[in-house]
This record gives sequence, C-alpha cells and structure tokens, in this order.
Amino acid sequence: MKKILMLIVSITIVLSLNAEDKIEDATFNDIAKPIIGDKKYIIDKEKIRIKVPNFADNSLQVPIFVDASKIKNSKRMVLFADYNPIPLIADMKVSNILPVVSTNIKVAAETPLRVLVLDENDIWHVSTALIKSAGGGCDVSSLSTGNDEFAERLGTGKIKVFNKKDRKRIKASIFHPMETGLVFGSSEFFINKIVIKQENKTLSTIKTTSVISENPRFIFEAKNKAKNFDMHFFDNDGNEFKLAL
Amino acid sequence: MKYLVFSLFFFHELLAYNLKPIKVAHNTYYVEGKKEYYSIENKGDISNTAFIITKESVILIDTGSTVDYALSLKKEIEKITNKPIIHVINTHQHPDHFLGNNAFEKANIYATEFVLNEIKNNGELYLSNMNRLIKESSYSTKVKVPNKILKNKKLILDNYELEILLFKGHTESDLVILDKNTKTLFTSDLIFNQRALATPHADIEKWISTLKKLKNLDFKTLVPGHGEVSYDKSVIDENIEYLEFLHSSLIQGIKEGLEPFEILSNEVPIKIKNYSMFKEEYERSIINLYKDYEQRY
Repeated sequence: MKKILMLIVSITIVLSLNAEDKIEDATFNDIAKPIIGDKKYIIDKEKIRIKVPNFADNSLQVPIFVDASKIKNSKRMVLFADYNPIPLIADMKVSNILPVVSTNIKVAAETPLRVLVLDENDIWHVSTALIKSAGGGCDVSSLSTGNDEFAERLGTGKIKVFNKKDRKRIKASIFHPMETGLVFGSSEFFINKIVIKQENKTLSTIKTTSVISENPRFIFEAKNKAKNFDMHFFDNDGNEFKLAL
Repeated sequence: MKYLVFSLFFFHELLAYNLKPIKVAHNTYYVEGKKEYYSIENKGDISNTAFIITKESVILIDTGSTVDYALSLKKEIEKITNKPIIHVINTHQHPDHFLGNNAFEKANIYATEFVLNEIKNNGELYLSNMNRLIKESSYSTKVKVPNKILKNKKLILDNYELEILLFKGHTESDLVILDKNTKTLFTSDLIFNQRALATPHADIEKWISTLKKLKNLDFKTLVPGHGEVSYDKSVIDENIEYLEFLHSSLIQGIKEGLEPFEILSNEVPIKIKNYSMFKEEYERSIINLYKDYEQRY
C-alpha cells in the first residue's frame, strides 16, 4: 500500500514538473533567465500566494503581499515587475527567514508581478499576479525630498515584532526618498540592501531597488523563536541606518 | 460631404455628455454624477455640480472632470436661463471638481488660497492623470487656475448672499456653502450619499469632527459632492458611521500587526458594504491610509 502511495506521489511530482506550462512571454524570459539560469522552473500558484490591489489607484504606492511559506526550506525569493523600467524589486535570501514579504512598490504601467522562489531541490517555483494600474509611478520625483525636515528624518523609522502562531512577524518602516533617478535633474538615491540580524547573527540579506516606494514599509517573517531582531538599511550613497527593538 | 457631416455629428456625440439638471430648491439645481470610478465610458462624469440662478447671473459650484463636461453643462444651464455664468466656485482640490474651469472664460473663479495653490502647482499633474484614465474626453481640457481667493465669511455676488464655511477632512481645504435664501447646504465631497467615501487626501479624524459640525447647521436641502440630493440630516450620520468604521478597522489592524490585504479581508458590517462602489473605495482607502496610520499608531 505504502509503495503504491509512493508511486502515486512520485508520478504526481513528475507530472507537475512536466505538465506545467511555461510562461510564454519574451519580457519574462529575458528578465528571468539570469535569475533561473539552467535550473528548472515550475508554475506554482498554489504555494506562492500573491496579493495585489484590484486596481492600483496610486501608482507611487502599490502594496504587494507575498507568502510562499508553503514551500519548505526555500533558499531564495526574487520579485520583479516586467514592465517597470527597473524590473527587479527585491532579491531575498530566505534560508533563515520565511519567503514572506509585504511592501509598497511603484508601477510605471500595468504589469505582471512575478515571484520566483528557489526550493531545497534547486527548482524554481514561479507565480504571477497582474497589477492593474493607470501607471506613471516611476517618472515622478520623490515627494519627501521637498520636505523641510528631510535631512533630519532621513533613515529614521520604526520596527516592531508581532507573534504569530508559529512565527515572528517583523514590521519596519523607514524615512527614505527611494529616488529612481529617472526624473530629469534627479539622481538615484535609494536603499539597496537590507540585512536582518538576530543577536549579531545575519538571518537574511535582501537586495532592494528604487522601485520600492518612498518612505518604505516592510513586513518579513521568521520561524525563529528568539526576540532581538534588528534591521540594517544601506543606501547607494554609503549610508547605513539601523533599526532595533 | 453627407458622410462628413454624419461623422462629424457622431464625433460630436462622443464628446457630449448627457447631463440632467435637477431642481432641488427655488432657482437651485444640481447635476448628479455617476456613482462610478473614472472610465473612458463615463468620460469622468462621476461627481456632482450645482448652480444657483440669481437675479442677474448664475453661480456655478464645481465644474466637473473635463472642459467638455463643463461645455455640456453650460448648454443645459442655457436651456433653463439666459443669465450669464460669471461666478464659479471650486470646492476643493480634486480634478473632478475643477478641470472644467476653462469652459468659463469670462467668469471669476473662486477657491480658497490652499485650493488655488494646489491647482496652480499640481493642476497639470491631475490633468495628465486624467488623460491616462479617461483618454480622449479629456484631451481638449486645459487647467485654469482660480483667480479669486475665498475667505471664511459671507460671499455676496450680484447682491446674492452665500455663507462660506471652510473645513478640513476630505482634503486639507473643503468648502461648504450655505445658501440661507433657500436653506440649501452644498457640502462638496464632505458628504457622499450612499456612495463609498473617497479618501486619497483625507484626514479621517478631522473629517468626522467636521461632519459633527455640519449637523448643527440650519438647512433643509443637502447637495452632496457625490450621490443623490438629500432632504434628511441622517446622511451625515451615515457618513460618520462609515468613517468611524474605517478609522477603527485601521487602528485595530495596525495594532495586530496586519498588513493592508489582511485588514481588507476582515469582516465589514452590511450597512457599510451596501454603499455603492464600496469594494473599490474601501480597497483604495485602506491602502492609502495604511501608511499614515502605521506612522501614527
């Protein structure tokens, strides 16, 4: 009986690996190729849950929520939006945190949001959500750079940890213009790396880009029981900002 | 030639708006916008405009989302009266209330200093966004900045007296006009009658306290910024209830560490859900307000 069950399971796995259709989209393939390389990918809408607005009214602040924690022992999670001038949103090491993120992004036009998660067997799981928007979010300059307190507030923020059933949720927000540099006369100025630490041990390093909205907010989740998380934000101008509990 | 005339006729029809002024008090009319979000089909006809016919002229309150809307409105007004539209008031900074200004070349256009500056500084941005949303219908529209500043006092236009009340809540500067001659209150977008409230520039707590003040005013007819005219003050309470629900669900969600979509999936009372456009506006509200509430709570 056990053998039959194993057989069924393995057939299902093989089928799901082979039968899943590929994404027939040149833009997707161009952007995904350097990430996926020679590895296999499967479309996995069931294990990667993506939430986007029904209509993204404010293209400067479009919330996205990704939960791929059903994929056990995943190693890396990459998010990108095909039709943004800067497609990459974030590239996260998720061996020691969960593949979960909530943040706000800018969208230049209606675009698919792609989430790619690398599992323990080196197979990429891919899921897509369409962000419907009138667009225009990438060619508008940051609003906060015009703020009088700009220099004082840069890098200040908030961090909080919430207990969920089997995990910790780390929620942070930081004051930063996240300037894309795409507006004439402005130069790019954004947080390009986030490091999540727990008692001086690095849990995750996250590469971020300027398509993450101004004064960004983040939610990450960790399986960890320990408390003392802190987050380090690095920007392309050499600043480092630390938010600690 | 026949075909040319024919196609010109159709082209014109595409640009025209089907507007129906409704009389709500003596010499007082309003035109109800569709309870919809901007679309190519509705051509931006989504908000209310209103006008008062005085002895000498017409006072117009708000001008719609496009110049073509305002031109259609002008035609409708001309069917009712031959008095000139020479006084135009913009109630607040939102594009569905001022982008029609340019149809009124000879009129004085009144707004608060804040709204005047907002239109001066961001009018083009609002227009380009409108171009993206409703396309062709807005291509002939040009921004026209108000030329008269309104203060918190009586406004007398051709011997017709209006009380100007300045509030905050829906935006940083919301105008309420009380016409004591007919006991009509024009609330602008501080009131949405059975249409979900729009909150992109709102301060919910200020909005609630403003609405509580409106309840004390002496009026019989209430012309809202969106939705049907009301002859009953209960519409104010309904809006307070809606805003209090938004406020409390955001605070509760932030306290529990929820992200926007988790708050959106929480249970909503039937009464609130029944507002038209609830789904779209509620999503917009939670998303727009989330960041602000996260900073404050």
